[in-house]
Amino acid sequence: MTAEQIVFLIVALVTLGSAFMVVTTRNLIHAALWLVATLFGVAVVYALLNAGFLAVVQVVVYIGAIAILFIFAVMLTRKDARDSGPQTHKNWWVGALLAVASYLGLSALVLGWSGSSKAAAGLPSGFDAVGQLGEALTSPNAYVLPFEVASVLLLAALVGAVYVAFNRK
Amino acid sequence: MTQLDFQTLLPLTILTVWACVLLIVDLFIPKNRKGITAVLAALGLAVTLSFTILQIGRENSGYSGMVVLDGFSTFVNALILVSGLLGIALAYGYVKRMGLERGEYYTLLLFSVVGMMLMAQAADLIVVFIALELLSIPLYVLAAFSRTSAESEEAGIKYFLLGAFATGFVVYGTALVFGATGTTSLVGIVGSASNGTSSLLLTIGAALILVGFGFKVAAVPFHMWTPDVYQGAPTSVTAFMAAGAKIAGFAALLRVFATAFPTLATDLTDILWALSAVTMILGNVVAISQTNIKRMLAYSSIAHAGYILMAFVPYGNKDIMPISIAAGLFYLVSYVFTNFGAWGVVIALEKSEGKGLEIGDYAGLGRKYPALAAAMTVFMLSLIGLPPTLGLVGKFYLFRAVIAGGYTGLAIIGVVTSLVSAYYYLRVVVTMYMKDGEPTTEREPMLDFTTAFTAIVTVVVSLVPQWLFLLASNAVLKLF
Repeated sequence: MTAEQIVFLIVALVTLGSAFMVVTTRNLIHAALWLVATLFGVAVVYALLNAGFLAVVQVVVYIGAIAILFIFAVMLTRKDARDSGPQTHKNWWVGALLAVASYLGLSALVLGWSGSSKAAAGLPSGFDAVGQLGEALTSPNAYVLPFEVASVLLLAALVGAVYVAFNRK
Repeated sequence: MTQLDFQTLLPLTILTVWACVLLIVDLFIPKNRKGITAVLAALGLAVTLSFTILQIGRENSGYSGMVVLDGFSTFVNALILVSGLLGIALAYGYVKRMGLERGEYYTLLLFSVVGMMLMAQAADLIVVFIALELLSIPLYVLAAFSRTSAESEEAGIKYFLLGAFATGFVVYGTALVFGATGTTSLVGIVGSASNGTSSLLLTIGAALILVGFGFKVAAVPFHMWTPDVYQGAPTSVTAFMAAGAKIAGFAALLRVFATAFPTLATDLTDILWALSAVTMILGNVVAISQTNIKRMLAYSSIAHAGYILMAFVPYGNKDIMPISIAAGLFYLVSYVFTNFGAWGVVIALEKSEGKGLEIGDYAGLGRKYPALAAAMTVFMLSLIGLPPTLGLVGKFYLFRAVIAGGYTGLAIIGVVTSLVSAYYYLRVVVTMYMKDGEPTTEREPMLDFTTAFTAIVTVVVSLVPQWLFLLASNAVLKLF
């Protein structure tokens, strides 16, 4: 076993374990913090896959913005961050069955696919993935239009959210 | 960015910038004078409309084929901008009266119009998706705009949840189409599909996109949200939503299906046929039992989505397509004017806290306010499709196109459901003229003007419909 594989196994265990904690812990703030750990684990997996840029984006966007937003939302809306209701639904075994079935089905599909045992071809040396991504987002010959419209969309959503959430008396 | 790119989206760019600037200007307008924001927003729409009209006859694509400018998009954009203007005219007095007068109302409306215009011009599924969101998100907020009313909040949250769900369908469909063809460009998809890579995956993707759009235009069986949202939302928002979202939804549906999925016509025509028939039948039949005028008009709008869907059924047939598109566009125009007029009358009678919205409240209107009652009669006749109104001409062109396409059965369903609809539309007319009552209305100059204007357009254009049909016939979809 190479060092990389050992690191991967540890990270995978930590990610899965904290993901499990997200849904089982009763304290919402703790759940959000476990979510941060899970998202960080995913970022490490990206880094192990040589996708450095994605790993950074994962940390900045998901941990830096989204998970923190969760914590803000919980703190702003709830007096009590504890969830006292039952944690399982009475039909939980149906969900469990479906989850196991999907897992087995997907595993069978992936293992049956000839590409799953092959190593991916490495990127050519000097391949500038970040540069290409940036150009794709800002070049008129690529995706500048959806990119710009998305910013207008976010502005409209922000104005709307402030209007809806702002409590006027 | 070349000049051509810029030209393709010139009106849209102007309106986007206008909306962003208005957002800032609005901060300096005192709270009790937000009418100024309304006027500025209307001015922006008018300027954009004049630039749109200047674009008649231009055809090109921009941003490496992501958006196109053709006769179809220009026609649809003009109609959307007119809807925006009518929407502001209806809202002008209404929001003041209901205590909702806030600058955000108008900026959100402008952003929604931008989304609608982009829908009409989108030639790439990614742009379709983003435009759909830009159209919808301001509408979710506008539906919940009356913060003190529980119905309005319910409308907003319902529209938001179901709308987000519908968007999910569109995205999933887009992903499957991309998986099947390797491209999101509408022209690229048809190129790949005609190479023989047409597959089950592509059909499922197209069907999922159809489901998403079905939600947006309120076609049965994706119509569940419509009555509650239309009833709960502030009436001026409902009027705008009913017109604008329908125009944009149908425009995008037509462009996506006619451009990208003509190879799937054999599979999808039957589905569209069934959707159209079920929508007409259910919308009209359920409307009969409604006593609330907003709910009745909501089911009426579902029924009209069914009529407009008729124009899509022959979409794979190259010979019928042009007249079918023209008939669909003509019907949209007639629907827009009739719809805004009818909602205008509803606004005139609406009182605060949801009073004055029962059909019974219209009793005695004919005696006390003959002009308003006459206008409402015109709109009801137009919604049924009786002379002398645009509704009749619209239905005539529509049924003619469908019969020419060989779908006589669908045309018969259309005629029969129109007869059914006469029952509940005429009930409003009967209540206005035959029953005694003491209705009170709000006299607002902008509202009176809008109602009178739409009533006159509905009648006068129906007497000389040829030029409008000619305009619609010239509004062709173009492939680049």
